[in-house]
Amino acid sequence: MRISIEDVHFVYPGGVEALRGVSLSIEPGERVAIVGQNGAGKTTLVKHLNGLLRPTRGRVRIGDWDTAQVEVHRLAQRVGYVFQNPDGQLFCRTVAEEVAFGPRNLGYTPEEISQRVAEALALAELEDKAEANPYDLSPSWRKMVALASVIAMDTPIVIFDEPTTGQDVRTIRRIERMIEMLSQRGKTILTITHDIDFCAENFERVVVMGQGRVLLDGPKEMVLGMEAILAQTYVEPPQLTRLGMRLGFEKTVCTSEQFLETLRRRLDHPQSDPRAEG
Amino acid sequence: MVERLSFYLERSSPLHRLNPTTKLVVAFTLILVAFLGPGLLLPSLIFLLILTPLSFVGQVGREFLRTTVRLLLPLFAFLFVMQSLFYPGGKTVLFGFWIFSVKLEGVRFAFLTATRVLVMVSSFLLLLFTTHPGVLLLDLTQRGLPASVAYILASTLQIIPQMQAKAATILDAQRSRGLDTSGSLGRRIRALLPLVGPLVFGSLVDVEERAIAIEARGFRSSRPKTSLVEIEDRPLERALRWLCLLAIILALGSRLWP
Amino acid sequence: MAVIEIQNLTYTYPATSHPALREVSLTVEAGEFVAIIGPNGAGKSTLCYTLAGFIPHFFKGELQGEVRVAGQDIRRVRLEDWVLKVGLVFQNPFNQISGAKFTVYEEIAFGLENIGVPREEMKRRVEEVMALTGIEDLADRSPYALSGGQQQRVALASILVMQPEVLVLDEPTSQLDPIGTREVFQVIRRLAHQGVTIIMAEHKVEWIAEYADRVIALAEGRVIGTGTPADVLTDPRLPDYGIGISRYTAVARRAAGEGLWPAERRLPVTLDEAEAGFRAVEEAHAHLH
Ligand SMILES: Nc1ncnc2c1ncn2[C@@H]1O[C@H](COP(=O)(O)OP(=O)(O)OP(=O)(O)O)[C@@H](O)[C@H]1O
Ligand SMILES: Nc1ncnc2c1ncn2[C@@H]1O[C@H](COP(=O)(O)OP(=O)(O)OP(=O)(O)O)[C@@H](O)[C@H]1O
Ligand SMILES: [Mg+2]
Ligand SMILES: [Mg+2]
Repeated sequence: MRISIEDVHFVYPGGVEALRGVSLSIEPGERVAIVGQNGAGKTTLVKHLNGLLRPTRGRVRIGDWDTAQVEVHRLAQRVGYVFQNPDGQLFCRTVAEEVAFGPRNLGYTPEEISQRVAEALALAELEDKAEANPYDLSPSWRKMVALASVIAMDTPIVIFDEPTTGQDVRTIRRIERMIEMLSQRGKTILTITHDIDFCAENFERVVVMGQGRVLLDGPKEMVLGMEAILAQTYVEPPQLTRLGMRLGFEKTVCTSEQFLETLRRRLDHPQSDPRAEG
Repeated sequence: MVERLSFYLERSSPLHRLNPTTKLVVAFTLILVAFLGPGLLLPSLIFLLILTPLSFVGQVGREFLRTTVRLLLPLFAFLFVMQSLFYPGGKTVLFGFWIFSVKLEGVRFAFLTATRVLVMVSSFLLLLFTTHPGVLLLDLTQRGLPASVAYILASTLQIIPQMQAKAATILDAQRSRGLDTSGSLGRRIRALLPLVGPLVFGSLVDVEERAIAIEARGFRSSRPKTSLVEIEDRPLERALRWLCLLAIILALGSRLWP
Repeated sequence: MAVIEIQNLTYTYPATSHPALREVSLTVEAGEFVAIIGPNGAGKSTLCYTLAGFIPHFFKGELQGEVRVAGQDIRRVRLEDWVLKVGLVFQNPFNQISGAKFTVYEEIAFGLENIGVPREEMKRRVEEVMALTGIEDLADRSPYALSGGQQQRVALASILVMQPEVLVLDEPTSQLDPIGTREVFQVIRRLAHQGVTIIMAEHKVEWIAEYADRVIALAEGRVIGTGTPADVLTDPRLPDYGIGISRYTAVARRAAGEGLWPAERRLPVTLDEAEAGFRAVEEAHAHLH
């Protein structure tokens, strides 16, 4: 299911101009990260994809649907969205009910529902908390419940708004496994994140936003190396990318595999003085 | 999400610069005079000759008229129909149709009641439009209202918009997960049911977190408090307030010794 | 001079069976910047609450051991005035507004009104702290209609403005953009140099490595390591406890496995150290050829 955003402008009722002409198109099955400074308009943009906000000007299309014409609850068949703020997002008495809420509304059969719920709980490692009240869980587990309850909807497009904030490494690994699994099933995944290392390690395409506009959009190896433009919107390249730059690597490296590979190659061919390069 | 937490409209008008207590006193005076004073036309004159011009002095005339009409039109329609038709003891029949007859006494009563309500609502609107609620409370605090009462008042002013915002968030979350909240009434009520629990529960959690948050900001500190905004109070305004008292006494007098 | 002295602190929340903190002992000097790391549920927030007096004065439960802050027994202090000495920025950035103010500017001034700061000084301090946290543009906006990171900045500013002697920050940068995070760390370090004692719970180890004086690692309520960032953050046991390490440390550890990290060097925790180490490797190889 293709996402197409055409010159979208959005002004909040108070007068804040949050989007000033955003155009993007995202193909089915892509893994896209959106980064950019606080207040850049990232959350505002993704709320347009499931119809919570409607463009003041411009158009958003999900497949053949124009989001301005389709109600939010119907868009939920195509787009799952995990909110940035975990409060208010959960409203059921138990974790199991919470996770089943979406699938039930989407009209799956009872067998399908229980299968999807079981699977989502397993992926989020929430099985032992299925009967707990979401409000009794710690914030980091609440976020996992929110993730699970959206994944269980099995929509072709899944959006995460800052999934890793406040999470420890193990939980981040768990989220990475979820993303990997969704990706293998051909889902389109959009994630907003300030964790630029997480972005570099898990996404192919990176969209950089600043002041309501898209500043950069492309493969991460291209985008994450552009230090000057990133700095305009308060983003720094990932740790290993910066290390690679310091060492004079020609290519932008994003992951430790890429880093070590480049390092080995340079050590095998030491004719080029590292400091004389780039 | 809420964009506006109060009726307050930021302008730089003489009315905005008045001391909040003066405005409060004037509002109360106009209301009392409208209710106590003599004559059928007094309340409507107060509205037309005092409140409406004042709203333009305060640069909020359009909003003032629009909101007043929107708030009161349905009430007035109801009032006129009920009173003009069913006013007990009406004798002077103006005209009649089918089994109904419209009586003069009823129309008079409806008119008087309606214009009194008009003065009451519109004076408060004008006060709220031109007075920052925080400043009003602050002024009252400085005149001896306990700080905790002021806090409770200030936060109650915000409770409705906050509850609305919270409900909107939960509703957004539910719609985002496929709950149909549109359509027939039964359906809408069913859609609302799952909202009640989290709304109440979430608000309780909020209250606790809020209590901790204001504690951390020294809310219960034993030191004397200060305030960010300075509130002017000129001698002229004090005189005006005494004048208001006089007006109230006169109105009361006209009622007692007609 | 030790500002914080904790001995054998064990604390159990009401209606729970397992202590959230177990036999914690630590001291913090005036003007020190101490970071607390640990996996989710390790007890970081609980420790923050204790230092700020919310445990045991707001959350009751069972507190054993000694907690002294600025020479006073935490059990004896009056919470309403204690908050002037020890400021706490809470973990949840979405629910820290007073609920009584209508603009960001007034919101930040709220704390100063409560503690009786004169108006002119109040304005100066509010404006200063808004510049420090990058929210000057938001002064007249409603504190409710803000983005996630903007809300967190307002929350931070609201406590910074009160200028407490001890500043306890519970994951204050979780919603911030990368350069915003760096700026907050810089501001905090500057405050520490001015003598403010800083305790910060944080997951972002690469920043801790660069800015903190000392790191305390918690797991399951216990202190499992304390020392300089370089020592604690290269501790090989961290991953077993579920504590993250910086990409510099991680990549150097893998490189070391292949003999691509100088044997005599400690693993790096910062960009500079990583750069120096890998340069040394490249130079050594250049000599070989
Ligand atoms: N409900 C609202 N009403 C008015 N303005 C808003 C509202 N929500 C956000 N804004 C403003 O719109 C702009 C974009 O906000 P948005 O939440 O999209 O930013 P963001 O990129 O997601 O930032 P962050 O990384 O801090 O979450 C900001 O200036 C913000 O203050
Ligand atoms: N109010 C509370 N009542 C009961 N138990 C609590 C409460 N707050 C925290 N706990 C429990 O205390 C332990 C420590 O929690 P704490 O919040 O201090 O961890 P943390 O290190 O801050 O975790 P995180 O990284 O998720 O913020 C956890 O087991 C948690 O479930
Ligand atoms: Mg956001
Ligand atoms: Mg915590």
